[in-house]
Amino acid sequence: MPRIERRSLLVAALGAPAILASGRSSAQADDRPVITIAVQQIVNANALDTLREQSNVGERVFASLFETLIGRNHQGRGEMVPQLATEWRRVDDRSVELTLRRGVLFHNGDELTAEDVVFSFGPERMFGSAEAGQASGTLFTQTAGARGGGLPPEVPAVARRMWPALERVEAVDRYTVRFVNRRPDVTLEGRIQRYGSEIVSKRAFLAAENWLAFVQKPVGTGPYRVREFKPDQSLVLEAFDGYWGGRPPIREVRFLVVPEISSRVNGLLAGQYDFACDLPPDQIPGIERNPRFEVVGGLIGNHRLIVFDKNHPQLADARIRRALTHAMDRQAIVDSLWAGRTKLPNGLQWDYYADMFHADWSVPAYDPTRARDLVRAAGYKGEPIPFRVLNNYYTNQVATAQTLTAMWNAVGLNVQIQMRENWQQIFDRSSPRAVRDWSNSAPFADPVSSIVNQHGPSGQQQQVGEWTNEEFNRLSGELETSTDRPHRKAVFRRMLEIAEREDPAYTVIHQNATFTGKRKDIRWRPAPSFVIDLRASNFAVVKG
Amino acid sequence: MIRFFASKLLRAFATILFVVTFAFLVLRVSGDPALLIMGAEAPPDAIAAFRAAWGLDEPLWRQYLSYFAAIANGDLGYSMRDRRPALGLVLDRLPDTLRLMLPALAVKILIGVPAGIYAALHRDTWIDRTTMAFSVLGYSVPNFVLGLMLVLLFAVNLRWLPSGGAETWLHTILPIVVLGTAGAGILARFTRSTMLEILGQPYIRTATAKGVPWFRVVSWHALPNAAIPTVTVIGFMIGSLIAGAVVTESVFSWPGIGRQLVVAVANRDVAVVQVILLFVAGSMVVSNLAVDFLYGWLDPRVRTTRGKEG
Repeated sequence: MPRIERRSLLVAALGAPAILASGRSSAQADDRPVITIAVQQIVNANALDTLREQSNVGERVFASLFETLIGRNHQGRGEMVPQLATEWRRVDDRSVELTLRRGVLFHNGDELTAEDVVFSFGPERMFGSAEAGQASGTLFTQTAGARGGGLPPEVPAVARRMWPALERVEAVDRYTVRFVNRRPDVTLEGRIQRYGSEIVSKRAFLAAENWLAFVQKPVGTGPYRVREFKPDQSLVLEAFDGYWGGRPPIREVRFLVVPEISSRVNGLLAGQYDFACDLPPDQIPGIERNPRFEVVGGLIGNHRLIVFDKNHPQLADARIRRALTHAMDRQAIVDSLWAGRTKLPNGLQWDYYADMFHADWSVPAYDPTRARDLVRAAGYKGEPIPFRVLNNYYTNQVATAQTLTAMWNAVGLNVQIQMRENWQQIFDRSSPRAVRDWSNSAPFADPVSSIVNQHGPSGQQQQVGEWTNEEFNRLSGELETSTDRPHRKAVFRRMLEIAEREDPAYTVIHQNATFTGKRKDIRWRPAPSFVIDLRASNFAVVKG
Repeated sequence: MIRFFASKLLRAFATILFVVTFAFLVLRVSGDPALLIMGAEAPPDAIAAFRAAWGLDEPLWRQYLSYFAAIANGDLGYSMRDRRPALGLVLDRLPDTLRLMLPALAVKILIGVPAGIYAALHRDTWIDRTTMAFSVLGYSVPNFVLGLMLVLLFAVNLRWLPSGGAETWLHTILPIVVLGTAGAGILARFTRSTMLEILGQPYIRTATAKGVPWFRVVSWHALPNAAIPTVTVIGFMIGSLIAGAVVTESVFSWPGIGRQLVVAVANRDVAVVQVILLFVAGSMVVSNLAVDFLYGWLDPRVRTTRGKEG
């Protein structure tokens, strides 16, 4: 039986009528617009759950539904800002204490309290029971369906990766929570802010028939709430007028799945959609010829990479991998395939790393002469080097692969494109692997979130057996546990040297970018991420 | 007669069994649902957990046997992506699919068959040549090209019709026109050629020579005989009602079973693909049986032969 306190009664007494009243008034005269957004896909996993959906596309809609304790400034550089917590402080190397914002309401009208935060990081919502991770042996027929009641096992697996050493989250009082880690961790605040750490309503989660029912209509604290979700078709959100950050500017937001690029563009130009997302750069001039529309967007916190398999007979020699990195004219790719709308980043890092950012670091210089020298020194005799490519899983992927292959061929490297249908075929070990595409993000402002998570001992590249390096792995551990910030920065530098220069694991091609076509009379600024921020501070229809 | 239909049913069952087995093997061998559904960015342990939970780490033969055991118990499985019953997911899409495909079928028949007859009756005139030119154009222009052209004209430039979606009856017009055009073109050509063949038969000359009015010659003597090949083609069209509009549904963002099939195959969502294939195979079998019945009704010779067989 939940304890009812005076303060919660007060909030409920003031908040609930406000919501009801706003609902009534909105039914009577709500002149806020209905906005339709055409997207390639709403969520890949068909669940409105940040712990199940591991793709970039989900981020776009989740920002309207859920919030984390520490937020991210979508209109700035992505730095940390107060959100559901108004302030936070370090207790020690292992603990962070946060003060919750008062008067925050969930979509069901309940007030956010420490109890919801503890629940959101607890076994029922996030980590599952100890046995859950062991469950196996069911098949995708009748027995699998019976598992709808608990968390799907991949959810705790994702959560454990995000929080590898979280000991507990405890309620200090009704509006104060404390995160306690098992080991020292300077990235705790980053993990609290990251995608996957959103707060959900305990009462709504427990009241739902099962996890599946909750993730079809989740209850968070965001400015919009789910009215209807039809997987692979549409997601209709309605304004949540009890939102702590002010009345949302849109009455109804409709995300529609429009898989074809040309259909999204045509629908925009026909006036059927107000926004068309996921546009390739070559569509921009065609849209902007129409004075009523414009294309906005640009750099996002995601880098496109080429990844190496050092077990390949030719790539075992680091000089060949280094030659590959120096033969790439990345700027030519940015200028020709991206119309100059993206840039070459400083290796696998982002400037929102703040004091961990190495501004003087860069991707390997384009130097074909040096590449040829390296190829010659390695005694390479023109043996084929396979480059496995998916059909435009990433924007411009095939064109980029063809351009890179021509550049590599020009320095004497016999790289050959092999088209593949899916990721399993990319990772398949039955024939030699050498080069492939990938992209990496940093979910929070620290290199642990990227270089360690993706390329460290538990990261995908090492898990699929493409690359490993003893010193790099030792440094990964240091970066995760050290609290000495100058030392951590030096460690990160050394890791960049190893993975990008000495014993290349990967090489960055360019920073990724995303483009959105929209009505010109809508004032809206894109975030430097996939997030579509539709709060009052970032959306208005310009009259006249 | 009973033996005839029993053999047809047995063959249909074997066909469905083959289709389901083939699809199962191809889907499971050519892609890992865990990696496709969770995405390449997912942590390796999450992918492993997904695999274990759905039994994808079991030997293929065991997965296959357990799948068939479940089907035998009337359980068509669960979507690995949605975690909902695959049958329910497909049935959810059926009304929207039929809302598009049935009117399109009607357009195909109502335009294609009369156009073919009319062209045949005006053989080698400008009417015949014009009709056939449109017919060839209709089925040789790819659906996506015609679809995009119509969208550019009627949605983008004139703004008369929506460019995609399925909210109102207005949204159905362009996709029905696209689907109907290609089918009508095929039917017109089939109907014309069979009509020409029939019109050259001695019994038509005899009827004409006897002074039977031309309209009666055509409607009473020619049409029923010319109907068999046309009915066969229409039978195929009915069989492809369920998932026969993959491209058109994609161009018009129509939430039908065709698009669902593409997404399910791309994700190797085995149970959903199998349910759709069962629907497709089932509708093909039913339409073929219906066509067989119609043969008997249209052509007494077929009836007589079957009677002897039975």
